[in-house]
Amino acid sequence: MNDPSALTADAVEAIGKSQTSAELERIEVEYLGRKSGHVSKLLEGIGRLSADERAVLGKAVNEAKRMIEGALAARRSQLEATRLADLAETEAIDVTFPGRPLERGQIHVLTQVRRQIETVLESLGYQVELGPEVETEWFNFEALNIAAGHPAREMWDSFYFGPGLLLRAHTSPVQIHAMQRIKEPPIYIITPGRCYRRDAPEATRLPYFSQVEGLAVDKGLTVGDMKGTLLFMIQSLYGRERKVRVRPSFFPFTEPSFEFDVSCGICGGMGCKSCRHKGWLEVGGCGMVHPQVLRNGGIDPSQWNGYAWGFGIERMAMLKHDVDDMRLFYESDLRFLEQF
Amino acid sequence: MRISYEWLGDFVDLDGVTPKDAAEVLTRLGVEVESMTVVDLSQIVIGKVLEQKPHPKSRNPLWIHQVDLGDHVQQIIAGAPNAVPGSLVPVALPGTTVPNGKVVKDMNIAGFKASGMLCSAEELLLGEDHAGILILDRGKPGDPLTSVIPSQAIMEAEITSNRPDCMGHLGVARELAAGLDRPMKRDFMPAFTGTADPPGRDLVKVSIDDPDLCSRYIGGVIKGVRVGPSPDWMQRRLRACGVRPINNIVDITNYVLLEYAQPLHAFDLARLSGPAIHVRRARANEKLLALDGLVRDLTSDMLVIADALRPVAVAGVIGGEETAVTTATRDILLESANFNGPSVRQTSRALGLRTEASARFERALPPELALAGARRAASLIAELAGGSVHREWADVYPRPQQPVRVNLRPALIDDVLGTHVPLEEAESILKRLNFHVKVMGDGEWDVLPPVFRLDVTIPEDLVEEVGRVYGYDRVPPTLPGRRHERWTPASPSLDRRLDAIREVMAGSGYTETWNPALVPGRKLEALRIAAHAMRVSNPLSDDMDTLRTSLLPSLIEAMTLNRDRGRLEVRIYEIAEAYLARVGERNGAQPEEPLRLAAIASAGETADEGRDAVYRLKSVLDGCVAAMAAPPCAYDRASTELFHPGRCAAVMLDGRQLGYIGELHPTVTAGAGIDGRVVAFEIDVEPVVAASRIPRAQPLPRFPGVQRDLAVIVDETVAAGVLQAAIKELAGDLLEQVRAFDEYRGTQVPDGHKSVAFTLTFRSPERTLTDAEVDKVMSEIKQGLEKRHRARFRE
Repeated sequence: MNDPSALTADAVEAIGKSQTSAELERIEVEYLGRKSGHVSKLLEGIGRLSADERAVLGKAVNEAKRMIEGALAARRSQLEATRLADLAETEAIDVTFPGRPLERGQIHVLTQVRRQIETVLESLGYQVELGPEVETEWFNFEALNIAAGHPAREMWDSFYFGPGLLLRAHTSPVQIHAMQRIKEPPIYIITPGRCYRRDAPEATRLPYFSQVEGLAVDKGLTVGDMKGTLLFMIQSLYGRERKVRVRPSFFPFTEPSFEFDVSCGICGGMGCKSCRHKGWLEVGGCGMVHPQVLRNGGIDPSQWNGYAWGFGIERMAMLKHDVDDMRLFYESDLRFLEQF
Repeated sequence: MRISYEWLGDFVDLDGVTPKDAAEVLTRLGVEVESMTVVDLSQIVIGKVLEQKPHPKSRNPLWIHQVDLGDHVQQIIAGAPNAVPGSLVPVALPGTTVPNGKVVKDMNIAGFKASGMLCSAEELLLGEDHAGILILDRGKPGDPLTSVIPSQAIMEAEITSNRPDCMGHLGVARELAAGLDRPMKRDFMPAFTGTADPPGRDLVKVSIDDPDLCSRYIGGVIKGVRVGPSPDWMQRRLRACGVRPINNIVDITNYVLLEYAQPLHAFDLARLSGPAIHVRRARANEKLLALDGLVRDLTSDMLVIADALRPVAVAGVIGGEETAVTTATRDILLESANFNGPSVRQTSRALGLRTEASARFERALPPELALAGARRAASLIAELAGGSVHREWADVYPRPQQPVRVNLRPALIDDVLGTHVPLEEAESILKRLNFHVKVMGDGEWDVLPPVFRLDVTIPEDLVEEVGRVYGYDRVPPTLPGRRHERWTPASPSLDRRLDAIREVMAGSGYTETWNPALVPGRKLEALRIAAHAMRVSNPLSDDMDTLRTSLLPSLIEAMTLNRDRGRLEVRIYEIAEAYLARVGERNGAQPEEPLRLAAIASAGETADEGRDAVYRLKSVLDGCVAAMAAPPCAYDRASTELFHPGRCAAVMLDGRQLGYIGELHPTVTAGAGIDGRVVAFEIDVEPVVAASRIPRAQPLPRFPGVQRDLAVIVDETVAAGVLQAAIKELAGDLLEQVRAFDEYRGTQVPDGHKSVAFTLTFRSPERTLTDAEVDKVMSEIKQGLEKRHRARFRE
């Protein structure tokens, strides 16, 4: 075979018939291979030709090479287009097949809720303060205006380690520590942490639980400011359709004192089974800081006033995620923890 | 406390105020109504039984009644035989719903028509008696039952500890009246009109040892009472409030307690040793057979009421059986006193006995209440039990209640509430609440709280009074905002910083847990980690009597729980405090509360699986430390409780020990019921946070690195860490990194030896290294290792 144009025609025909890129590869080697390709062989014996003949042959061979290369490229892109067009059939997978499991752990739901609460209040300029869980009676009670023998001490039945030392019944002692440390208002803090009360464990009450309290000390704070702060917090956590109401109550460390309720998320306040037909869910306590408590924290109540509030992290998580038994949070059953 | 809606109607006009309205008003005022049982009797009619015959066919005993309903007679079948002809009975006609929820239908019982139901007290929620039909003492057939028994609602309310006055219906009614802005129909009873024996002849002598514990004691003598059942209306009200009727005298004392909140006690005068009352502390070894039938051991810190010989009551808590009023009683001594709250509370707790009386005294009642209560009781006794009330009372009142005036700058109301309350409205509210307000020349208010409000002492208390009646719903919510000239810059909380660790743990397949800090002390002892444990002196149970000194026992328990529930592969962790009593400190010092990070994971069965799991866990811990941007930890062979003696390392950061990592001791896992191996670590996390640094960017390498592997055969006792350190030292500056990646024992490795394979990366910051340069360093390393550790090398 030594006619370049016949050779080219053969090659182009073979290329046109090819169906796979492997076939094209073979054809390419067969015709264009550097040593034994048909095109290279056309040049065998070129040395015996005259200069003119050489030029003619060289030109014809180059032309053949260019034609074959062009045909190869065209056929390749044709085949590639077909391959891509057929992908839907040729490489289909069963997309309903379950994903391969990853080894991924969960962050505890109470950590998640605590994180949300901290984030919301930090956005209002509150800062986290921490304190010891084993407290002195003075910080847990006296500093908060709960003298020994005060009937309100019943509200905080505590675990003791001998006289004067106990597991804090609330995170309020941190408020006193913080006021004493910061000294000069404005003070805007939140105090998340574990607390303990001598209550037998049941679905809605545990001897150990976690609280977040907030404290604002500034000039000219009002009950309205306290309500607004609670409303901002609740709407940020549960959605802006939620309402907050404050009901008069009694705590020795605030005056006036309140409990605060959140409108039921299921009935929107109309009353349903889950809010026991009240339309409201109890969340926590709050009030204007008692002047004596400010004094105990080293703050002059004639210059400054404040409000404070507190609630259980578990309670917030129960409301948010429809958990009906508080013990689940501390039982460490993975089937529960992995739901959040 | 249970509050009877119907009873409140004695004091406030409730016309147009439903029980639900009343509950709402009270809740908004601070008397939180938690639940309510409505007893709607409006559908029930009065019937008179004309005829009663046993049912001839029924298998169960039934009676067929012909009942006169005024305009017609109806046949009704009942299971109780007590509605004999002539009885007046409550009848529920077909179609009505009885208060307990039962719906009445026309029925046919074994061939006899039954149209309606005769109701028991229980079905009408008027008492517990369900055995018989409720028999009425009066009423006209056909009239609604409410003509003789009012409809009712029982509210369960939470009374805050500052409001003992609201532990009686009168106090609650005052709140309701103020909230509704309606006048009180009646308030404190007028003085009783007792007649009687010539004064002074047999007056009771009262002595009080410690006026701090008993600020007032009133003893009144009532002679010639007839003890018997109290009237139905009184029994009904007592039952509604959860108090069991006993006899008219005892019922009256309980009734007044529920009405005025003043506890009272009646002694049988004849059973006292002489008409002398001594209020004193109990003496050594004194005992009292109390009204609940139990003999109580008394201690010297308990206040008692004694006659000439012995204690006859525990002051403010419970009376004695031996001097109690019985059907034989003729003359009584009526006690109305004021006892110190903390003392009553302490005694009641010591006796494990909380009574209606102690619950009220605990909250510090005003002593002025004692006389009002005594008068009310005396007049009821005179009215309902006959008897003549002695004109003169023993009234020993060593600590008279002093009025406390409060000065209020009225602008404070607006300042605190954050809204404008017109002054007239504020003043009117205080007056509705029985405060006396005198406006002074400078505009300040001189306010005198009512005698029953010991809780109001500072201006802020008055703001609260105004606010709660004005309505906190009327205070618009605002956010505080001033032009602050001082602030604290924001910084992430510790817990948010620890989220970096939580991310690593989650990505490594570990789930976070929160476990109780109170654990069984015996368990810590069994694990021999109780040396620094803090013991609770008043635990709820021995399962929660000690603060944990380590998080690991909690995690091990959680692993057991999950395995028991079918989860065999468990990987969990916790970030929480441990509590360690300070060594050498006096008792009563606060413990250290180091924040810990601990994790455990299932680690297969075999020794090799256990080893690999330890190495994987090391990576997890290294990852946590790296995530905190702290320098890497070092690991030193160590041994400690809880861990496998051959598979435990101390975790070191900058030369300071943070904790331990390794495989748990087989006895520890076996003790927890876990078969198979478990790996764990526990470290102090605060030093890691403290060592955290902001990562500084390093320039990327400009020249290629050269990698070489090196398999070193050494004696078993030579640790990989030691070899690694030696390689670093021997290699000099060109070595960028060295890392052990394999450990091998077997062919080509002599007994007692192991082969450790390292990957070394060499790089120069200035040039591309040549093979010759690297070969030279490698041979220096080999020579050095040969010399130092008698190492040989596998090719």
